[in-house]
Amino acid sequence: MSELLEMRGITMQFPGVKALDGVDFTLRAGEIHSLLGENGAGKSTLIKCLTGVNRMDAGTIRLDGEEIRPASPQQAIALGISTVFQEVNLCPNLTVAENIFVGRQPMKHGQIDWKTINRRAAELMARFHLDIDVTRPLSYYSTAIQQMTSIARAVDIQAKVLILDEPTSSLDENEVQLLFNVMRELREQGLGIIFITHFLDQIYAVSDRMTILRNGHLVGTWGVSELSKVELVTKMVGKDMDVIFNLKRADVPGDAPYMLKAEHIGDTEHIRDISVSLKKGELVGFAGLLGSGRTETAEMLFGASRATKGSITLDGEDVTLRQPFDAIRAQIAFCPEDRKRDGIIGDLSIRENIMLAVQSRQGFMHPMSRQEQTELANQYIRVLGIATPDCEKKAGELSGGNQQKVILARWMATQPKVLILDEPTRGIDIGAKAEIQRLMLEMCGGGVSVIFISSELDEIIRCSNRVVVMRDREKVAEVDGEGCTQQDILKIIAEGAA
Amino acid sequence: MTSTKNRQTLWSRLTNPKYIMVYATIGIFLVIYAFGAVAYGDKGFTTLRTFVNLFIDNAYYGISAVGMTMVLITGGIDLSVGAVASLTGMFLAYGTSVLGLHPLTCIAAALVMGVGLGLLMGWVIHYLNVPAFITTLTGMFLARGVCSLISRESIDIHHPMIDALAGWKIYLMRLVDGQWVKVKPIAFINFNVILFLVMIALGTFILQRTRFGRNIYAIGGNEQSAKLMGLPVGYTKVMVYGFNGLCSVLAGLSYALYVKSGWNLSLQGGELEVITCAVIGGTLLTGGVGYMVGTLFGVLLKSIIPALITFNGNLLSWWGKLATGGLLLLFICIQRFVVTSARGRK
Repeated sequence: MSELLEMRGITMQFPGVKALDGVDFTLRAGEIHSLLGENGAGKSTLIKCLTGVNRMDAGTIRLDGEEIRPASPQQAIALGISTVFQEVNLCPNLTVAENIFVGRQPMKHGQIDWKTINRRAAELMARFHLDIDVTRPLSYYSTAIQQMTSIARAVDIQAKVLILDEPTSSLDENEVQLLFNVMRELREQGLGIIFITHFLDQIYAVSDRMTILRNGHLVGTWGVSELSKVELVTKMVGKDMDVIFNLKRADVPGDAPYMLKAEHIGDTEHIRDISVSLKKGELVGFAGLLGSGRTETAEMLFGASRATKGSITLDGEDVTLRQPFDAIRAQIAFCPEDRKRDGIIGDLSIRENIMLAVQSRQGFMHPMSRQEQTELANQYIRVLGIATPDCEKKAGELSGGNQQKVILARWMATQPKVLILDEPTRGIDIGAKAEIQRLMLEMCGGGVSVIFISSELDEIIRCSNRVVVMRDREKVAEVDGEGCTQQDILKIIAEGAA
Repeated sequence: MTSTKNRQTLWSRLTNPKYIMVYATIGIFLVIYAFGAVAYGDKGFTTLRTFVNLFIDNAYYGISAVGMTMVLITGGIDLSVGAVASLTGMFLAYGTSVLGLHPLTCIAAALVMGVGLGLLMGWVIHYLNVPAFITTLTGMFLARGVCSLISRESIDIHHPMIDALAGWKIYLMRLVDGQWVKVKPIAFINFNVILFLVMIALGTFILQRTRFGRNIYAIGGNEQSAKLMGLPVGYTKVMVYGFNGLCSVLAGLSYALYVKSGWNLSLQGGELEVITCAVIGGTLLTGGVGYMVGTLFGVLLKSIIPALITFNGNLLSWWGKLATGGLLLLFICIQRFVVTSARGRK
């Protein structure tokens, strides 16, 4: 097979760090090549060098044998290197068709030829087996279709190299399959696809080869059949998998008091009927598909949405949660699912982000001094191992895993009795995942009761004392974490009550 | 399978959610018009004359609203339009009546001033990354200041060409027994009305039929994405403010023809009236959404309220402000609802 893209000795220096050190990477025409590594391993930097966002300090890039040096994303696109990002980089207000053609619309008599645009867009989407009305605004459609639109745009620009940067993290299982089919078809047509993801299963499902980076260095390139999952993780992290996941479930004595008891809570819209109880120091996992009511239950327990029926007792006392403030006062903490939208405030510093909930609980009449704040922030940065030079760095500039730790710190600082974590490990790499899980369990050991929501069953089972399984907005089963398998839970989700 | 999708039915085209705001504007206009027709039909509210007067009395706001709509679609704002229009009137009045210049010379000078200021503000906004609100506020003070430097008194405009242009009108005719006769009561359209409609048509063409226009929408939808898609973001933004400057000058010319004078304090707060027209016409202040047809009806909607008050005869004209405020509130609420429900679908 011919080498479509050849990157040799790519080196990139940031102040204080060598982000890439002599990395080689080759991509063949007609292959899907996974690029792997933990956050900070240099994947993004390598992609940014290739797409002209960053200027590399040394190294050569050859496309079809000719040396290129893209200086801007536009130049890269013109050369045939297109990128589809995790966050869809299109315009939500324009139609699907227009998003594919904007900036290069076909013209007729000095006017935009809308008919041709809409027809060709429909043809392109049809190639992806999507029979949709391309004249509706992009925001009208799901993230999956928006991503397909992004890919359609890239393909129509006659891309030779297509980079998919974490395209699957906000897709459900069916949508992922749809994306994979499209990727396979594009591979047949001779495109070279670079695929970046955190989901190991997906790498094995779709890619031909994989290249692993660690700390800015190349670890190596393998065919997918040459490396087992365990070997892969070991190479990514540089440590043994067993060491990473050497976690023990929280040890809850049988006579531990109940910390939180919710009985038959529900409302007319989001939740039908849920009963959950949590002992002191216990970790309960919520399993279920997206939309099964996991997040909605969490929001109800946090007062973000109101239960119209049922009762909640906290530490033996009846509580009414009308708004999050009530919950915060009752020492319930909640880390929401979408950390960019609901959790992290990117423009504020790490210190300010950590202080938010503490300050809210204390009331604005009792401000903490700057020195107290800094001490508290630094303490959590140390305990949680947040990778940052100091606590004044903007939270938005941290990696996903570190942002998640900042949110954890925010709620740990309020010394909660109950901590609800909604998908705390989504979109972060495996090492950071293990660390978040370890922190959760440590908090349980300190007497905090934790509700852990995740789409990844293996991590739910690994950490939970009990698992609450939800389906269609109600609880269908509750199983012990010890001794249950993914298959058991999947079966319950698929078939209803156990 | 796809061929059926390609051949869109008229119905599916009309029910496209992107037109909701325009429908709301047209719908509310029709409701208010129907109310006027029922309440004041006997006093002549339904005559053609009342209807064309809606255009005549507000053409200058409408002309400016064309440019403003584009600025708002990019997600920006321009507070200088009232002052620039007023300055145009000063150029014309002072130039013709005091300096004895030909009106065309004055208009040319005003165009250089208005477009130049617009381009400059656009450049500052994009390349120096200064918020549009502050930049154009500065522009407003500058233009208003120059107005007062020129004269602090109202200056009448006397020039044959201006008189001719202001007096020029086309009477609306009706065919009776094979003969064209003027409609009763007499109704006519003038230069301002035609300029307004031409600008609406031009605006529609730019927005819907040119790449430049589509880039305006893309920038308003997501400026970062527009950049990553390789669109000329800076150029587009600068040109939009330049075009808005052009519209301000034309609006100022239109206003000068309407009142036949120039005054340094004229059109104070005019920029807010213009923004109101665009917003009740369905343009989102957050950018990305807006149509010229909506703006046209926004202008009509805003001007029908004083008309109703005049027909009533007993209400103070300040009720007009109250009603406009109510309308604006209503539209902002509708916008919020539309935006939220669009996000909820994801």
